[in-house]
Amino acid sequence: MSAPNCLRGCLVQRPAGGAAATLLRHSTVMPATAAHFSTSTPLHGNMMKPQKPGPKSKVLLVAKQWKKGKVADRGGKSPLPGERKAFRKRILLSNNNALPVEGLTYIGPGDLLDHKNVGKVMSIPDAAVDQLRTAEVFKPTQTWSIFRKPSMLVRSETVDLLNRMHTALGKEKALRLVIAGDRITGKSMLLLQAITHAYLNDYIVIHIPEAQELSIGATEYAPVPHSDPVQFMQPNYVLKLIQAIRKANEKLLAKMTTIYSHPDLPQNIPVSSPLLALANSAKEPESAWIVFRALFQELTVKGHGRPPILFSLDGLAHIMKMSEYRTAAFEPIHSHDLALVRLFTDCLSGAVSLPNGGAVLAAMTRGNAPRVPSLDLALSRRAAEQAGRHKNQLPQRPAFAKDYDDRVEAVLQTVELLQLQGVSKPEARSLMEYWAASGVLRSLIDEATVSEKWTLAGNGIVGEMERAALLTSRF
Amino acid sequence: MMASSRQGITTALKGLCQSFRGQWQPLDRQFQALKLSSPARTTRCLSTTTNASDSSDALSIRAAPELNLDAAGADLSHISNARPVPVSASYFSRMSQFNDSYLALQKLIRSYQNLPVISAADAERVAWKSLVDYRQMIGEHVKASDFIKCMELVKRLHQIHPKLKPDGVDEALQPFKKDVQPFSNVPKPIPIDRFGRALGVGKRKSSVARAWVVEGTGEVQINGKTLADAFGRVHDRESAVWPLHATGRTDKYNVWALVEGGGTTGQAEALTLAVAKALLAHEPALKPALRRAGCVTRDPRRVERKKHGRVKARKMPAWVKR
Repeated sequence: MSAPNCLRGCLVQRPAGGAAATLLRHSTVMPATAAHFSTSTPLHGNMMKPQKPGPKSKVLLVAKQWKKGKVADRGGKSPLPGERKAFRKRILLSNNNALPVEGLTYIGPGDLLDHKNVGKVMSIPDAAVDQLRTAEVFKPTQTWSIFRKPSMLVRSETVDLLNRMHTALGKEKALRLVIAGDRITGKSMLLLQAITHAYLNDYIVIHIPEAQELSIGATEYAPVPHSDPVQFMQPNYVLKLIQAIRKANEKLLAKMTTIYSHPDLPQNIPVSSPLLALANSAKEPESAWIVFRALFQELTVKGHGRPPILFSLDGLAHIMKMSEYRTAAFEPIHSHDLALVRLFTDCLSGAVSLPNGGAVLAAMTRGNAPRVPSLDLALSRRAAEQAGRHKNQLPQRPAFAKDYDDRVEAVLQTVELLQLQGVSKPEARSLMEYWAASGVLRSLIDEATVSEKWTLAGNGIVGEMERAALLTSRF
Repeated sequence: MMASSRQGITTALKGLCQSFRGQWQPLDRQFQALKLSSPARTTRCLSTTTNASDSSDALSIRAAPELNLDAAGADLSHISNARPVPVSASYFSRMSQFNDSYLALQKLIRSYQNLPVISAADAERVAWKSLVDYRQMIGEHVKASDFIKCMELVKRLHQIHPKLKPDGVDEALQPFKKDVQPFSNVPKPIPIDRFGRALGVGKRKSSVARAWVVEGTGEVQINGKTLADAFGRVHDRESAVWPLHATGRTDKYNVWALVEGGGTTGQAEALTLAVAKALLAHEPALKPALRRAGCVTRDPRRVERKKHGRVKARKMPAWVKR
């Protein structure tokens, strides 16, 4: 990657004016404060010798200049700070080169609950696409950009999960569930489907798209005043989160009114003013955490026409370890001492209840996840419980292991576990037919093709099927 | 001149051989049969190996034992001039052994020419000795044209219907067969056990794979992992199930495999061979298709050894001035 760039840069910047011009330009590059010492022999020799324009020194100088490189002379505008990252992280949700697929229907509010829709590919309605984009649910690694419009396969696990959410809603309880599974089995996609369903069914969605953003020390933090034991808020992140919540759930928030007075807010929000006004009051990072607390308090009031809440997070392992933050005494901060993370883990463990129903969903990630033995142990225990193992037969900690964490295991004591695996062959076939109809897979879709890709993809792992069928030129 | 004189000898011998009856033995054996010297094994044995002398076959070269007429017990007193005469007149030709066997074959042909024959394709496949091998075996400079004529007789005799083949024929053909018969080296057929599994073993580079193939729906497990977990590269995954893919059997069989040693490519290609062999146990008719797909032959290449004076097998050290 760098070699052609370098070559291009060098060719562009090769001076036309000969050696004199080269010399002049080079002398401006060398800092005046540089010591007259260099470990590089040719450079050293060059500085010591009186420089004469001649064929020999010309070659030397050109070579030197090629080595140094000059960013400013690239010719053309260099990208602004952050532009490259934005380009890398951009999310394209449509592609006009892809063929429109006939018979593709939009997902309705109840469609993802219907077992008849298992194995169908359905499109996300435009309104929900905007909401999902605001909440940053789409990921750059997903292959939205090669299809006409964002559509997804309804898997049996999707219907299963959403029916469990629906059942919990009827009981006015929250479904607390961890989505686990192998690499690229569609964990984030399942989360996206749950969130889509939530938006279509007027849930309030609070989504933390990348848990690692909270724990790797990349965002600002400060102790929460009057907290004991001390917790830490992440004001900038929370402000961004409130804005995302406000924008994505605007209609719902406008309908609801406050029932508490919140005296410590920076702005006076009288009782029975719309929740949207409360959310709007977060203008500065300093007050963000207080506003968020107030908003959450209002949303979790029982009754009063409050909608169910979907609180979700992607990348659970990142918040199940010590964070990269330090206290004033330079002690490492446990991720659960970060206020927003604490709120999520409390909801996940059931310590904070969602009285109007809803769900707390946490998706695991396999791409960049740290190894957390306690998390693995807790999930294996939940899996064993769900498999009907007796309490005495659950997996135990190794006797002399040190790196286990009680707090992590406490959080995951009662969660449910959804273990994602490959799709079935009928689902795979439907997906491949959609690819073929979009013009991205140019082969006859028959039993043999489906079966071959299904096998190559490790028994129907969706991401691997994409790799084997669509992205073959990339690998 | 030479050829014509030999031909003369041969024709003369042809007339002679009719007078012999029974089996035609090599000359030195006949000398032994004379039993002129009491032990067959003498101290003048010329064999270079110590224990080779006990084999009394045509291969061992030995000088004729000293004539001891007294021990023969015959009353030879009335004979004034006696000399031993070889049984076969070909003793005096340049290629005594070859001529003997040639004549023996001719005699057999003459005797059995009316027996029914089968076509050459139906006869048992035999690797015949080449001229060079044959010359080396008998130590005579057999002429190529003579050898070709001889081999025609051999092949004609070989075509006699196996059920009616007389006893002496196989023995007469034996010296013309190669010592190692590649066609008799038939691989053991892979059994299918009572669970319907066939075990195939494949190797590539330093990897060894064992694959159990059973009728199923296209599920693959390698070392307890799915295909995607076992091989990160899609190409390697395709290699591993290539026999199934090439024959359109991807959704007809399940594969459970153990593979060890080597790197990922080696493991994947060892699996190709293992799966192909196991698949052949289920469907032997797929062999040509699998051979065309390149799944049958073991790739014998290994890492090339490092040589002295080189950095690796081939790489030369960097050129250094002085």
